[in-house]
Amino acid sequence: MNKLLSLVTFIICFGFTVEHKEFIERQGQVTFFSYTSVENIQATNNQVLSLFNPTTSEIAVSILMRAFVFKKSLMHEHFNESYIESDLYPKATFNGSIIDFDPDQKETQTRIIKGDFTLKDRTKPIEIKAKITRTDIGYTIEGSLDVLIDDYSINVPSLLSPNISKKIEVSFNFNYAPYEE
Amino acid sequence: MKSKCIVFFLFLSISTYIKAQSLLDKISNVETESREYVMSTFKGTRISIGHSIETRKKNTLEISFMSRYWNVPEETSDSFIADRMCTRFGLDYGISDKLTVGFGTGNPNGIFDGYFKYRLMQQRADNKGSLFGITLLQTGTYRSRNILGIEKRDSFGDKLAFTTQVLIARKFTRNFSLQISPTFVHRTSSRFDIDDHNQFAIGFSPRYKVSNHVSFVSEYYYVANPLESIDTYGAFVLGVNWEVSKLLLQFKMTNNQIFTEDAFITQTGQNFNFRDGNFYFGFHATYHIQL
Repeated sequence: MNKLLSLVTFIICFGFTVEHKEFIERQGQVTFFSYTSVENIQATNNQVLSLFNPTTSEIAVSILMRAFVFKKSLMHEHFNESYIESDLYPKATFNGSIIDFDPDQKETQTRIIKGDFTLKDRTKPIEIKAKITRTDIGYTIEGSLDVLIDDYSINVPSLLSPNISKKIEVSFNFNYAPYEE
Repeated sequence: MKSKCIVFFLFLSISTYIKAQSLLDKISNVETESREYVMSTFKGTRISIGHSIETRKKNTLEISFMSRYWNVPEETSDSFIADRMCTRFGLDYGISDKLTVGFGTGNPNGIFDGYFKYRLMQQRADNKGSLFGITLLQTGTYRSRNILGIEKRDSFGDKLAFTTQVLIARKFTRNFSLQISPTFVHRTSSRFDIDDHNQFAIGFSPRYKVSNHVSFVSEYYYVANPLESIDTYGAFVLGVNWEVSKLLLQFKMTNNQIFTEDAFITQTGQNFNFRDGNFYFGFHATYHIQL
């Protein structure tokens, strides 16, 4: 009985540790583009935080909106003040999982990531096509998606609507390393 | 044995509980707090007529056109729209994120002015640390033409004036900001002995943002030791600021016509009302260029 109990405990403990083998990215890159005939807007954020669990293939991302860097300082101000309102909504988040992900596959796999993207407190289910590659220490996930500004109540005055695209192209690149709690 | 079983099931329940915590919840534990400062206490480098605590970012240039329009009392007028107008063209340049310089001149006053403005302290966004933003302003002006006859006009050195301001502002809510501006004005000469060369004043400037692009502003300046040779009143403004992409448009109703601090703070010769001669309509347009 005692042996059985210790075996069960061992299995649970072992399962517990395997289950929570997580990977972290603290300096993930997210870039967005808005192309219009009037002007192009581009910004990059190099401080994106993400956790990835290959066992459950679950991914969580947190994007600090103020950390987007623009070439033009006025764009940074307008982005935070007038469009994203980063004082009210400081972060955008994503929580989802990779469909049919094989954690042991050595080659790059192209998979769909399904989950919920939250921006300005509006949550929408999204699907992202992403490439997942195993590295020596962890995983690399990169991909891109289109975000419709109307979905997240980003209001552009009609006078300025030619300047900002309705569809924002977002691309990301995360390099995960093992996460020590 | 029974107690062991209970402990075992307790352990099981704890492990399932930990598992239930999503990765997104976990991520918030990992996040580190970074030091953040309040952005956009005001939108432009001028609240309406006076300077705000805002400086321009490094390598940005602003071209500004300022104007005032007014009517002259007791005159049968056939002027188009307004009897008189007054303008200033200016350039403002951000040397660094904290230091902005600017100069300007206009007609028909013929005042040449220059300033530098240094952001000393920024308000923190998390209500820890500094509760206010503080910016220092130093201006210098040269009057190439006689306007009110306050100063002597014998030599170049007589026609100068300097204004020093400590601009203190706080963004109380995302819409409401208030600036208090202790001011020291020094004129290099006075035509009348009763006028002091040095004057002290304080400005109060609230702003209320009504939408993401439009805000209402007001300014009032109180002078502690006003000029004795002429009657002066506190400068007052009611205005609307409208931001259209790279263009900042500022509309205002005020009681003064001159754009430089030393002139409108200490030498406003009429009180604010809607009569001809007292009422000035102002329009500023500022265009922002990233170099």
